[in-house]
Amino acid sequence: MSSESAIEVSNLTKYYGDLLAVDHVNFEVRKGEIFGFLGPNGAGKTTTIRMLTGISIPTEGTAIIMGYDIKREPIEAKEQMGIVPDINNVYNELSAWDNLIFTGKLYDMPKTYRESRAEELLKMFGLYERRTEKVQGFSRGMKRRICIAMAFMNKANILFLDEPTSGLDVQSVLIIRDLIRKLNQKGLAIFVTTHNIEEANQMCDRVAIINHGKIAAIDTPEKLKRTMESLQSVEVAFETTPPSALKELGELPKVSEVMKEGDKFRLFTQEPPSVLTEIWQYSQSNNLKLVTLNTLGPSLEDVFVKLTGIRPATAKEETEKTGPSDIQRKIQRRGDQ
Amino acid sequence: MDRHSSHYGREIRVAWAITVKDMRTYYTRPPSLMFGILFPFSLFLSFSIGRNVPLATQIPILISQTLFFASSSIGPVVIPSERANQTFDRFLTSPVSLLSILIGKTLAGIIYGAGISVIPVLVGLAFFGSQITSFGALVACFALSSLAFSALGIMFASIPGQTPGQVMMPLNFVRIPLLFISGVYSPIRELPTWMQVVSMLSPLTHTVELARYASGGETFFGPLLNITILTIYATIFLFMGIRFHIMNQRKE
Repeated sequence: MSSESAIEVSNLTKYYGDLLAVDHVNFEVRKGEIFGFLGPNGAGKTTTIRMLTGISIPTEGTAIIMGYDIKREPIEAKEQMGIVPDINNVYNELSAWDNLIFTGKLYDMPKTYRESRAEELLKMFGLYERRTEKVQGFSRGMKRRICIAMAFMNKANILFLDEPTSGLDVQSVLIIRDLIRKLNQKGLAIFVTTHNIEEANQMCDRVAIINHGKIAAIDTPEKLKRTMESLQSVEVAFETTPPSALKELGELPKVSEVMKEGDKFRLFTQEPPSVLTEIWQYSQSNNLKLVTLNTLGPSLEDVFVKLTGIRPATAKEETEKTGPSDIQRKIQRRGDQ
Repeated sequence: MDRHSSHYGREIRVAWAITVKDMRTYYTRPPSLMFGILFPFSLFLSFSIGRNVPLATQIPILISQTLFFASSSIGPVVIPSERANQTFDRFLTSPVSLLSILIGKTLAGIIYGAGISVIPVLVGLAFFGSQITSFGALVACFALSSLAFSALGIMFASIPGQTPGQVMMPLNFVRIPLLFISGVYSPIRELPTWMQVVSMLSPLTHTVELARYASGGETFFGPLLNITILTIYATIFLFMGIRFHIMNQRKE
């Protein structure tokens, strides 16, 4: 294992009976890196994070955490990590203070140290004034902050965050993102799973996209976007939009696909300059006044959609099963238009 | 973090922290009170009221039932509840062995069962003329029975349910029939031979016998066999419980 690796995963595999949930996955997370782990529901993200954190035992393969094998040296490996799961698994019957103190006891921190650390974290998260209140009376955002504070108790070298900002108000999201950045600047490696592609784009040094239990791509967000030249597009908005515009724009030469996004149209093409000319001619011949005309590179979301093969029908099927994710809601909306 | 502790010392401290947390969080939960206190006392009263026997001779039965039900109820209340809100995952991701986690939880059951069962001992001594003729037998009865039954509860809590009811239901399929083959309501001496053999295989039989012996009553199998069999059961339940929880982790 490289001394620069915080996590090194080799052939990590998980079967549930005959179902292959994670299929011989390989990746590395470097020290001091924010690593995004993206994938649609059921792709294997949570199963992977559960194996990396010792909740679940891999069927095959190894995961080395800061030099310790999670299967063979679980205690040492777990000492290196802090974990924020996708739900707020706090002890509702205990106070905010007792939640942190109990976490400190699980890490066998000496009494004076765990008390000073709990005080420091409660102040950092703006919860010190309410430390004696039972957590069950806290809002979702406050519980999330307690949950994250519990993950920081042991001054981990790696932080695992499973959907850290899902379902939170804007203020809590901003606090948490800011905190993640600050921690990362201090050298902490961060492994984050998220449905929020834009969040991953803004925060992560590298991302892995997992689909059907396999890694579809790993790279920096910008490099991933560059590999998808076919996902270049032209965005256009007219002052008044004729009802037939969607169909007619889709029939323009060199346009592979067109989508209506709010009051704008997005035309996918490999040759944006040609399409710009076509749009100009279309607007002239139909007496349409242009409001916006932009060329766009592929977004990380486009790359994600392309690699995972998510389509509106898939989103619909998934919604029927589990309710929509953010990305699925967006795709569903596009498909409906 | 200051690595101030030896491995074993650390495991013991963490196990104890889990015990204390469970005591604070789950002892007064309705399922704990219902299955651990209300259930054995109600059963005792429904079978004892109206019988023409001195209450002092019935106290060992109440002690045995409270030890049995209270000790075996904590695991099935705590673990499914923690599974439901994923707080059990906190233990699995902490730097502590599964063995210590389960020992911590077993200890919570032991303290609950033994603590509640002290009440009928004191009530018997204070109001019904009960006597303790063998303090050693009473201690062995409390220690081994609460350990065996708490471990039984932990073993059943490996059933992957997310509510106490999902574990209590199958556990009661075992607990309630044991009441009728363990010499609780009918003396073992009066049972047919094949029933006496079955009775010997029930751990509850040996709790009842030790409690009777401690208060000067007669025993059928003798305290040495009682202690031996309870020790064997405690070991088996602990071992099986750990195996089943490890199997669960593999399936997770």
